Amino acid sequence: MTQETIRVLDPTAPLSIATDGMADRPESLAGMRVGLMRNSKMKSEPLLDAIYDVLAERFDVAGAYKVDKGEASRPAEPKFLSDFSKEVDVALLANGD
Amino acid sequence: MTRLTSNSIELPGVLEAIETYFENGWSDGLPVVPPTPEAVTATLEAANLRPDAILGIEPVKSAVITAEKAAINAIMAGCKPEYMPVVVAAIGAITQPEFNLHGITVSTMGAAILLVVNGPITEELGINSKTSAFGPGYRANATIGRAIRLLIINVLGTRTDDGLDKATLGHPGKYSWCIAENEDDLPYGWTPMHVTRGVEEGKSAVTVFPGLSATQFGEHEANTPEGILDAFAQRLYPLGPGLDEVAIIISPEHAAYLEKARWQKEQVGNYLFENARKTASEWTAMGLQSGAQQENNTKLDAIERDRPISVLSSPESAIPIVVGGAGGGWSAVIPTWSNGSRAKIVTRAINLSK
Repeated sequence: MTQETIRVLDPTAPLSIATDGMADRPESLAGMRVGLMRNSKMKSEPLLDAIYDVLAERFDVAGAYKVDKGEASRPAEPKFLSDFSKEVDVALLANGD
Repeated sequence: MTRLTSNSIELPGVLEAIETYFENGWSDGLPVVPPTPEAVTATLEAANLRPDAILGIEPVKSAVITAEKAAINAIMAGCKPEYMPVVVAAIGAITQPEFNLHGITVSTMGAAILLVVNGPITEELGINSKTSAFGPGYRANATIGRAIRLLIINVLGTRTDDGLDKATLGHPGKYSWCIAENEDDLPYGWTPMHVTRGVEEGKSAVTVFPGLSATQFGEHEANTPEGILDAFAQRLYPLGPGLDEVAIIISPEHAAYLEKARWQKEQVGNYLFENARKTASEWTAMGLQSGAQQENNTKLDAIERDRPISVLSSPESAIPIVVGGAGGGWSAVIPTWSNGSRAKIVTRAINLSK
């Protein structure tokens, strides 16, 4: 007896935006201005500050630029991101509940 | 009808197909019904949908939900073709920007999506609204809710195993959470929820809630509206103050006492808004200083300490829904994600035109 095969369909759909992956890493942080973007949650600011303190101690960074994107559950507006990117060389983001 | 465009796979048999969906991460952890092209085509034809029809776009990821993908996932969930109008309306509702679908599905708060169906379609499809409405045993309830979850997993890519769903505890309603309102036991003069929310009487509709875990409670002694609503208030206090939206699940026994006293629907919200109050000092003393309450409590610091503040932000913040079977004074409150401040309940009419 031959078993009948079954043809079935893929339930997924490709997303038009990337949901993973890492930005290119700089070779050195020397002379770079570090952007710190918190997401309005209470622990995001102390977390970023603590990380920045470590970076400032170890590397010759050119200061911090701090912003709050507001509303944690929605993405930052494109203009907000564009303005932010003009001010910084590298950026750290934090989500701290 | 245009042709289906989804990739297809040929497998040795049904059991192998079920295993393949597990292996590919295309299930919710339970076996799915293998979606064959024939079944998908039949479902789309029964619902009078073109495969490429866009039923909704999740705004953050720009994820497009087509009728073809909706039908595939609905079949996987176990839906009958005639359930599709409800699934279609629910997709339209959850993709409205104010529902904040991305936020509520990836958040640590871990909301599930509660679908509440109203109107004549509930009887036609057999969507349970009575005994054990939130429980198992009814195909329409189980599979319509599951179809929405499978779409979130497969089309939005929001699953637990790759880290995008960040819910700290999760929620059993993320498997499926669909009920109907028990319109037969509405107190005299009350409109069904969808009509209260603007849908024409006699039409069917689905309302979507970004729901957190329900708190069920028993109130077997009170036989007045005030006594019953005071019992609701006790379950709302741990969520408050200033709730923007909360589901008030009223069992038929409690609803009967409201009817006996000739209370109208809006009196529920009016009573809770006016009477379920604590002073700023009392709210602060409850220690609700974290999570969703932290913002409201921060605001309290600026308010005079002895002023009574309501658990609700307005009388309309209470959304009464009559649900459940006869016997038993068990009702419930279902809080919503961010207490309704950053995600709103949405109602959509169900289109049955062919």
